[in-house]
Formats: sequence, structure tokens, C-alpha cells
Amino acid sequence: MGFLQPLALVALPLIALPILIHLINQHRHRAIPWAAMMFLMSAKRMSKGMARLRHFLILLMRVLAVAALIFVVSRPLSGGWLGGIGMSKPDATLILLDRSASMEIQDLQAGQSKRSAALQKLAQLLEQGDYGTHLVLIDSVSGQLQEVDSPKALLGLPTTGSSATSADIPGMLESALAYLKANKSGRVDVWICSDLSENDWAVESGRWQAIREEFYQLEGVHHFLLAYANLPSSNFSVRVENVQRWEHGNDAELALDVIVRSKGSSDTTRQEFPIEFEVNNVRSVVEVELDRQGASLRGHRIPIDTKLRSGWGSVGLPGDANPLDNRFFFVFSEPTVRRAVVVSDDIKNGEAFRRALTIPTDPRLQHQTEVISANDVAEIDWESTGVLIWQTALPRGAVADQIAQFVDTGRVVMFFPPSQNAEEQLFGSRWGDWQTPGNSSQRSAVSSQQEDFGIPSGNLLADRRQPTVSDSHSFGVSWWRGDTDLLAHAESGNALPLNELHTYRYRSFESLGTPLARFDDNAPLLTRIATDRGAVYFCSTLPTAQFSSLEREGVIFYVILQRALEQGSQALAVASQRDAGPEVLADHNQWELVTPVDNSDAPLHLSSQRGLHAGVYRDGAYLTAVNRSQIEDSATAAPVETVDALFDGMSYRRIDVDVGDTSALASELWRVFLFAMIVALLVEAVLSLPSKSVRVTPLIDLTVAGGKTE
Amino acid sequence: MLQLKRDYLDQKVLERLSTLQLHARLPMIGSVSGKHRSPIRGSSLEFAEYRKYVPGDDPRRLDWRAYARNDRYYIKEFEADTNLRMCLVVDTSGSMNFAYNGTSKLDYARRVAGTLAYIAAQQGDAVGLYCAGTGFHKEIPPKRSATHLSAMLDALGAMEASGETGLANVLHETAERVPQRALIVVLSDLFIEPEIVRNCLEHLRFRKHDVAVFHLLEQSELALEFDRPMRFVDMEGGEPILADPTVIGAQYQRALEMYLESMNTVIQDTEVDYHRIRINENYDDVLARFLLGRTPKRHKGL
Repeated sequence: MGFLQPLALVALPLIALPILIHLINQHRHRAIPWAAMMFLMSAKRMSKGMARLRHFLILLMRVLAVAALIFVVSRPLSGGWLGGIGMSKPDATLILLDRSASMEIQDLQAGQSKRSAALQKLAQLLEQGDYGTHLVLIDSVSGQLQEVDSPKALLGLPTTGSSATSADIPGMLESALAYLKANKSGRVDVWICSDLSENDWAVESGRWQAIREEFYQLEGVHHFLLAYANLPSSNFSVRVENVQRWEHGNDAELALDVIVRSKGSSDTTRQEFPIEFEVNNVRSVVEVELDRQGASLRGHRIPIDTKLRSGWGSVGLPGDANPLDNRFFFVFSEPTVRRAVVVSDDIKNGEAFRRALTIPTDPRLQHQTEVISANDVAEIDWESTGVLIWQTALPRGAVADQIAQFVDTGRVVMFFPPSQNAEEQLFGSRWGDWQTPGNSSQRSAVSSQQEDFGIPSGNLLADRRQPTVSDSHSFGVSWWRGDTDLLAHAESGNALPLNELHTYRYRSFESLGTPLARFDDNAPLLTRIATDRGAVYFCSTLPTAQFSSLEREGVIFYVILQRALEQGSQALAVASQRDAGPEVLADHNQWELVTPVDNSDAPLHLSSQRGLHAGVYRDGAYLTAVNRSQIEDSATAAPVETVDALFDGMSYRRIDVDVGDTSALASELWRVFLFAMIVALLVEAVLSLPSKSVRVTPLIDLTVAGGKTE
Repeated sequence: MLQLKRDYLDQKVLERLSTLQLHARLPMIGSVSGKHRSPIRGSSLEFAEYRKYVPGDDPRRLDWRAYARNDRYYIKEFEADTNLRMCLVVDTSGSMNFAYNGTSKLDYARRVAGTLAYIAAQQGDAVGLYCAGTGFHKEIPPKRSATHLSAMLDALGAMEASGETGLANVLHETAERVPQRALIVVLSDLFIEPEIVRNCLEHLRFRKHDVAVFHLLEQSELALEFDRPMRFVDMEGGEPILADPTVIGAQYQRALEMYLESMNTVIQDTEVDYHRIRINENYDDVLARFLLGRTPKRHKGL
């Protein structure tokens, strides 16, 4: 039980007042000289038990009445989670709202999502209580602090609405920390409303340790986690992983890879499930067979008009617990020419790159690869190039700026080690010395530096440690990320054979990027540099036989380059797929929504809400489909114990709430106590009523004829 | 007429009661001739009985008329009139200070005792006073002289009530100390156990004393007519009792009823002349009732 006016509880010792008054009255009763004491003593003896009980009850009722009155004044709240917060009111209240797509899971009976239920409960609670002089909202989409006038206003803010984005809970806490440090508030209540989604919480992230240490230094900060961790009994999500527009003679068609994921379904039997396709206002339904994991529909073909060079469509599922993952938008256009430029002074390596890049993965695709020397960089057609392979000294000056701009427009640059010595630095990285098995028995300085910065050695889920082919003449690859990026597993699910790769020489490099593969000595083979758009990779060896077996084995080298080329070429395509986010449409100002959005309450007229909801946007000839990120479909709720451990040592209380639970977080109980007080007073009054009027013995027959006169 | 200076005696009451006489319910053995019957035959004018002549009897007391009728010798005997010893036993315990409208039980007892003493003295009876209280103890053996009456009335006027009651002891002592039959008048609130009262009265009756009891009670004692808790201070010096009359009123009443019933039984068993008095009654009425009640209604004869 909590109290809205806890200071009133200071008056609790007043419950001893009736006892005190009783004791004082014992000495203040009017004294009267009395002769017939023997009857008094007899009466006292006779009424000892009942009178004591009656007195005790009267005293008890008075104590209860006073206690109830104090509780009424202190405005008690139901709900045990508020107990032990402390006696003082908060000076400020921070609300960290998870607006990720998974928070839109609804209770089908109540028709309320986790997000709106959490907001409603929180607004109701704060409206009843004192939230301090500042009520600050930090939503997961913007991550910005927003002062809110009143708790009720939370319900109508655009920044508390639904979105198809993912959340960054550690980032929101960092924003809260920045606010707390800047404002030096006294007691602050931090309310976190979330569904504990693993990807949103990033429980493995090293940022949590830093966050904890920062919060340790702050006093009076209390964390309340409004956890909606329960998953619905059944929910399906749909996603289009690949869209291709092909032409065969006079016919055109779309080829789609559709994935339906099932979460929380208890029905283990296979069932038919309808998937609705809509392209150019033409709808079609395909029945797929679902198992516990879901279903996949690879290469589903939809005939289209050959004149329809580009366009958009959607894939939909029947309504279920989460309406936001029941529809996925896609866009398509004619496949672009995949153009790669290789800058290399080494003929052999340049040729190796050219061969791997020229052969298309699909014969219907057009690949163009140009190998030039460093001196001919000026001839590069930056606009039409999808991927740039740079195997020479890192550039400086205008070329470096040109490459940065190239990356900013979504293209891909891969740096391979130059043969010559180079001291230049680009993207925070710099080439080091060549390493051979004989002189690299120790871990590279770069690797240890990375660990010192808290960079994880890899995603544990994607960790692949396999027997390597390491020997005294070559390095083996001991670890690589198989879940995502260039080294991800093939569509068949098979891992790339990196464990069979021989590396005879590699060139170390200093970089703060994220390793995608490591050698036996922990030195990175392939590293991705963090960029806003596009991608920058550093590979520490070369494909020719002098350096590695990349070219000889072929598969790995080919896959890496083709994936990089595909990724870079997508930026050149007229149609593009993007994950929802506040900056996702920042590259163009004229993006206009061309599709309706499922959730009608979304304030789409606001520019700040663009890109936060699933839909298709058009800017002239360009089309982009915005959808929730892939991880929103697959992420599961983090165990509550793990989440609790994140707040270890901090003032923290988790409140588990079910989305269908419509009861208030806390309701005022003063009426109950008022009623109790009235009852206590009534009982006291009844007990204090004088007994039935005592019949006074009349002194009739005063003279008793006891004696006889003789 | 004796000049009275004691304010507790009312001249009008004395004059009104002067027409009544104090009679003993039992034959008394006095020292001088008086108005009360004696167990010893005497020479009064009142015929007592006939008995057979036995040699040695005074032939002058032979009833010749009876001889003429029956041809037998009978001696005609007459009652002997003697005086009375009246012992006034007044309870002077603290509880006798309990007052009603300014008149305490002790005041009431003082008036009753004084008036009775005066009436008895006027009849030529001996009057004595025994005060029964641990705080005030006075003992005046019965005598007949006018000066004795004066001293006794002074003693009654100076009587004070305090401490615990010593009534039981005084009654037992009186029963033993008064050598011959006497009228023992007890004035007390009798706030002692009825069985103790029984023992005292039986002792007195065993000693052939005529016992009259004035049980003095005050109306407010009969019910706890208070509407709030009170601290009842024992007038005899005991521990005070904090009680709520609204709570224990019924029990108090029950205790009082039980006491009175027990007392009734004691009175019935011991055959004493018992008068339960509310002290708001006029004491002259009480005394008139007492005196009239003791007046013999008929005389025994052949």
C-alpha cells in the first residue's frame, strides 16, 4: 500500500491518544465519598470480565477510528508495489515510453495495446498522486526529453502514439541520466513502460554497466518498470524479405520471398493460413501451411503489367493480437545495373576482384566491374557505382571526402590491405603491419584495444567457433557472425565455410569497428565500421594465393563481394526498403505517403511522425517502403530476472501488468478507511451506551417484623 | 422539663413523643421500680397468676375466695414493675458521614438516639451509649440520673464518624458487659456482611436482651445514579474504586438486593425489632412508629 500524502502518517502515533486520554481520565474522574463500598466491590467483581472486554473494545474502536482518520488524510493507494518508496514526494517524474512495434500487441477483448494501457494506467496513477514540478517524457522514437503539462496530456501527445520502430531502452536511460545530471533534481521517479523485448533492452550491452555506475552516483532516483512481458497466446507476423521484378518476353512478374512467423501459438497442428497480396490495387490470397514456427513462401510470383516499371504492394495477414505486424509493404522497380569499381595497383588482386564481381548471382541481373589504378580515381562514376573496392593506400583529401559522401548515400566501400606502407587514416581506421604465422603468436594490439573499449567479441547467438585449418603456415578463422551482414548464413541455412579458409598473411589495422570475423589470434579478418547509412568494411587479407585461399576456395570471396554489391546497388535502385525510424526519410524532403496506414490514430500529418509508421512513400520516381525492423518480428521478451539484474544496486521496482488488466495501478482507498472510521465510531457509540435503566430497589417494607413482643 | 441545649434535639418532637412510652418487648430486670414488666413477681396492682400454696408462703397472700370456691389454697401473685436499661449502640464508622441534603446518617442517628434517650430518661429508665467506630469510640454505661442523661446527650452531640466500623465488636462486648436484660438499640448503616450481623444479634438474643435495629440507608446508595465514571472514595478509609455506574449499575443493584434479602433472613431468624430507615424520612415519624410498635397490645391473664 502506498500513500499520496505520506507525511500525514507522521501523525500515526496519535492512535495512542485514546489510550492516553483514558489513562489521564482515570486520574481526572470526579471523586465522590461513598459509603456502600461493599456493593461496589461486589458489582465490580461480578462485571469484571464483560466490563473489561467492553472497555477494551471501546478503546480499540477509538484507536481504530483515529488510525482510520489518519489513513484517510494520508490518502492510501491500493497496490503493494508502492510500499517502501519513501516518505517524500518526487520533485520530478520521468516517463520512458517504449513505442516499439511490439508494444502494440493488444488484448483482443479490451482492444487496448500495451502502450496505450501503460499510458492510461500511468496517467491515472500520476493524476491521483504528486508527480513533482516536472513531468518529462522520453519516448523511444525520438529519445528526446519533452516536458508534459499534466499526466492526462500524455494520452494525446503525438510522441506517445504507436510506431513501427524499435526502442533503445539503454539510450533512453542515458537521456534520463543527462537530464538528471543537468537538472540536479532531488527525488525523481523514473517510470519505464516496456514489454521487455530483448532487442529493445539489449541486455548484453556493455552500456548497462556504465548506466548503472552513473545512477549509483545519483541519489533519490527511483525506478519503476511497468512490465508488459506477457506475450499473446497467438500472434503472426509477416515480412517480405526479397522483391524482384522480372520480365520474360512480354510478361512481367514480381518474385517475393514471404516469411510468416508465429509467436506464442499453442496450436501445434499444421493449419492453412491465408496470406493476402495486394499489388497495384489487385488483391490475391494464397493459403499457406503453418507449423509452430510459421511458414515461408519463397519466390512467390505475382504477374504484373509490363508497363508497371515500378510500384508498391503489400502482404497482409488476418487480424490478431498485434495489428502492426499483420501487413508488410514492399516496393519494386526494374533491377538496376550492379556496378562495382575496384581501385587496385595490384593486377592479380584486381583481377580476382573483377572476376568475383562480374559474375551475377542471377543471370537476369547485369553486373559491371571496372578495375582502375589509384591514379585514375578521378574517372570513377560515383553516381552509378554500387560498391567500391579499395585496395591501395587509404586516400586523403578530396578523394576521402568523395568516399565519405559515397557511403552517406547508402553505398558500400570495402577496404583491402595495400601492398605499400601507408600511414593514412580513414573512417577512424589505419593499416598496420603485415602479419604472418611466425610473428603473430600474440594477440594483436588492435584486438586488445577493442576489448578495452568494451566492444563485445561477438554476438553469442551468432557465435561460430569451429575447428579451423590453422597450421604453422596459415591462420584459421575461429569466429564469425553468421546471423547478419556479409558473413550471414546462406538462404539454405548453411554457414559459410570460413573454417576452411587459409590466410597466410594479413595486415593488421587499428579500428573501432565491429568485427565480423576473427582469426585464431583474435585479430579481425573482417570489420564493419559504424556509419549512419551505407557500409564500410575493412578486410585484413587479400584474395590471391600469396595471402589467402579466398580466391582459390571462391565461395566466401564471391559471397562477400556479391552481398556488398547487392547492398550498395540497393541504394541506387528506384525502390528501396527501409526500417521505420525518425531519420529514415531524412534523405529527401519531398517524401509523400502513398499508402494508408493501418492504425488510423497515427498523426500522419505531423512531419515528426513521418517514417515512424509502416507505409510507402514516394518522392518523384523514387519509392520507399517503410516497415518495422526485422528484429521486432523475432525478438522475445527478456527474462524478468535478467532485466531485474540490470537495475542491480539501484532503487528499482518492477510492476508486472497484463495488457488485459484494466484495473488501475493504484486506486485511492480513503473511502474504505472513512467507512472503517464510521463503523468504528458507531461500534464505540453502541458500546458506550449506558446499560438498560437499572431498576432501583425500593425501600418498601422498611420495618421488618422480626421480633416478637412477649 | 429539661432545658435542652443540644441542637440535634427538637423540642417539638420531644413534646409530641412525650405522650408515648418506651416499652420493652421482653421482661426486664431492673434495679428499681419502673414501668416495665419483670420476670420476678412483685406487688404491683397488675395480677400475674395463681399458684398452689406451699408451706412457708405468706398466709396474707392466700386468696380466700379461691379457697372458698375450690377448697384449695392458692397464692395470688402480681407482676413486678421495674425499670429498663437501654443501651444505644451508634455506629460511628466513616460511612455514617454519608449525607443527604446536608443530613448525614450520623446526624440522623444522633437525633433518634438523643430523642430515645430523653424519652427513656423521662420514664426513669437507665440509658447508656456505646459508639462503634475505630476512629471514635465512646462507652457510657446505662444510668438513671439526670446528670448522666446530660452527659450522654453531650456525648451524642460530640460524636464523630471516622474510620472503619467496629459495630460487631461493640455489639459482642455489649452483649457480654451488660449484666442483665436490657434494650439494645442499634443505629447503623450495617455495611458489614449479614452473617456477621447475624452472629452479633444472636449473641445479644442469647443474653436475653431486647434488640432493636435502626438500619439507616440513604436513597442515593440504593442506585448508582451517575452518568459518567466516578472515583468512589471509601469513607471508611479503604482503597478508592474507579467505576462506571452505567456499566456496573445492574450488578450493583443485584448486590444490594442480595444483601437486603440476606439481611431480611437474619432479621427473621434473630427476631429483632428491625427498622429499615431512609434518612430523608422524618425521624419523629420513625420514632413514633417504633414506640407504637412496642406498645403492648394486650395483657396476659388467667
